[in-house]
Amino acid sequence: MSAITDILQLLVTANLWQVAMVSAVLLLLPALGGVISERSGVVNIAMEGMMLTGAFFAVWADLNWHSPWIAVLVAMIAGGLMALIHAVVSIRFRADQIVSGIAINIFAAGLTVYLVRTIYGLQDVGHVVPAEALPTWDVPLLSAIPFIGKVVFQQNVVVYIALIVLVLVEIVLFRTRLGLRIRAVGEHPQAADTAGLNVYVIRYGAVITSGLLSGLAGAFLAIGVSNTFVPNMTDGRGYIALAAMIFGKWTPRGAFVACIIFGLGEAIYANNSTIHVSQYLLSMLPYLITLVVLAGLVGRSTPPAADGIPYAAGSE
Amino acid sequence: MGRSQLRYLALVGAVLMVVAACGSTSSGPAAKQVKVGLVTDIGGLNDKSFNHLAYVGLQKAIADFNVKGEVTESKTGDDYVPNLTNFASKNYDLVIGVGFLMQEAVGKVSGSFPKVHFAIIDGAGTDASGKDLQHSNVQSLFFKEQDAGAMVGVIAGMLEKNKKAPGNTNVISAVGGVSIPPVNHYIAGFKWAATMEDPGIKVLIGYSNNFTDPAKCKSVAQSQIGQKSEILFQVAGGCGLGVLQAAGQAKVYSIGVDADQKDADASVIASALKKVDQATYTAIKNVVNNQFQGGALTFSIANNGAGYSLDNIQLPSDIQAELDKVQAAIKAGSMTPPADIPA
Repeated sequence: MSAITDILQLLVTANLWQVAMVSAVLLLLPALGGVISERSGVVNIAMEGMMLTGAFFAVWADLNWHSPWIAVLVAMIAGGLMALIHAVVSIRFRADQIVSGIAINIFAAGLTVYLVRTIYGLQDVGHVVPAEALPTWDVPLLSAIPFIGKVVFQQNVVVYIALIVLVLVEIVLFRTRLGLRIRAVGEHPQAADTAGLNVYVIRYGAVITSGLLSGLAGAFLAIGVSNTFVPNMTDGRGYIALAAMIFGKWTPRGAFVACIIFGLGEAIYANNSTIHVSQYLLSMLPYLITLVVLAGLVGRSTPPAADGIPYAAGSE
Repeated sequence: MGRSQLRYLALVGAVLMVVAACGSTSSGPAAKQVKVGLVTDIGGLNDKSFNHLAYVGLQKAIADFNVKGEVTESKTGDDYVPNLTNFASKNYDLVIGVGFLMQEAVGKVSGSFPKVHFAIIDGAGTDASGKDLQHSNVQSLFFKEQDAGAMVGVIAGMLEKNKKAPGNTNVISAVGGVSIPPVNHYIAGFKWAATMEDPGIKVLIGYSNNFTDPAKCKSVAQSQIGQKSEILFQVAGGCGLGVLQAAGQAKVYSIGVDADQKDADASVIASALKKVDQATYTAIKNVVNNQFQGGALTFSIANNGAGYSLDNIQLPSDIQAELDKVQAAIKAGSMTPPADIPA
């Protein structure tokens, strides 16, 4: 089986893991957003749309103001605003959260194409020059470590940001009072309300945070990796992030492991020019691994008890 | 307002957004004129590639023949049949489907509207199994992408043979979107010509399984660069922009596809051109002149329907001479780039 030896040989190359890391981070940021939102009790399947919106506005802002950091800010605000729509619809108006999420994804796909058409006509959206894209930065000293240095410490700045956010979300959710409150609101909002927590404020905050993180992911995709905007360029990452969140049992570290597996699958697939097996078989790989891991190792994955249930103060 | 009412409101909102997003572009006065409907595939008009070029051809025809042109963009593969039917049922004189992916839809709709003329870029009107139904009201606009691929293959092969490439590794590569005939024709010509110029060259071929996500193509390109490829040919539309980016970052060369992609990245040394604009224009012209004919119309180097552009580097004069020689030979028919990727 030359294909298997090909893959095994690949797995020990730092190149593969470096590419996998980028793919994983593109999933990790929206997945963390999903974890925060759903831990507070609001189902969020709109990461795809928030990410796509962020991607467009990142390119637009970068082409206008020639600064990747302003672009990131604009992208995060755009993602946050999309999330705000979801929050208002599902928290204030208590609408079905799945429907609201789908509506936002469709809306984002239409909105971005509409904006492209209105602002750029049928011309090129334009290309962000490398000097104005989100930079790659080698961490001094650490980047010299063999293997690990290349994989973790010779990356785009957003990769570092994402890893820091991962640790922060893990700590905040499970080691701080704020995290306890978020989880309480997601498990039993009535009890949390009785205890004096403002369920609405916490849920709004959680949903908007998911939008900010998805917007950041969109910015990374558009002005860190691709340096342009192409309609529908997010290509379902928001949904795969959703799977990663469930796979990871609504924990940041679990989602991270899932994202690494998906990212690794993508990176292995990207080597189809040299692996001697049908590229179609290869493209199934990450999902096959997921099925096996889900069935064999992860087992039952239970969402927060009040996930998806709108809260009305005073009702039972 | 109750919960269920809101649920419907959200749905209605979503539908409205889709409708708004599928907005169409119209122009020209509404005199008694030829009406042309153009339906894009999922790439959309901003694909910087063949959908865009088809639109350019339509615009030129509108200007030259005073035809009425409408465009509908398809969001998903499920939109092809309704979008084509929409134009056909309004008695448009010509309905153009852009792209191989629309073959089956064109086959189906052209059967239902035998009096409407259809044209399809990169394909024929087929049944579900891909068999050409040979409807007499369908004109297939095919391209010999291998001609264009061969021209850029000559450039890559000559650069390697003459040791003018960035690192002279003697490895080049192609990144295809999906393994479908129009994509593989390009790659076939590219590999054939590069190997002809430099028999020792190694040509890597990979696919991204995607046409819209540059990050996916970038990963494939990076893996090829890791295997020492230093001239990368993108054959993946909008996705392939990631190939050009990856080449730029790694300081190696890249080659654009379909349209001249000089401005996409400094690494682009040439582009393989497929003149979809010319094909679209020709199809419309034929309808205007009542010269529509069913069957295949092929665009190649011989009728200037395929070619190449030189982009961000100055080519040595001997490579230019070789390009002219090969182009003349293909035009004369003494050289024929293969349609299938050589082993």
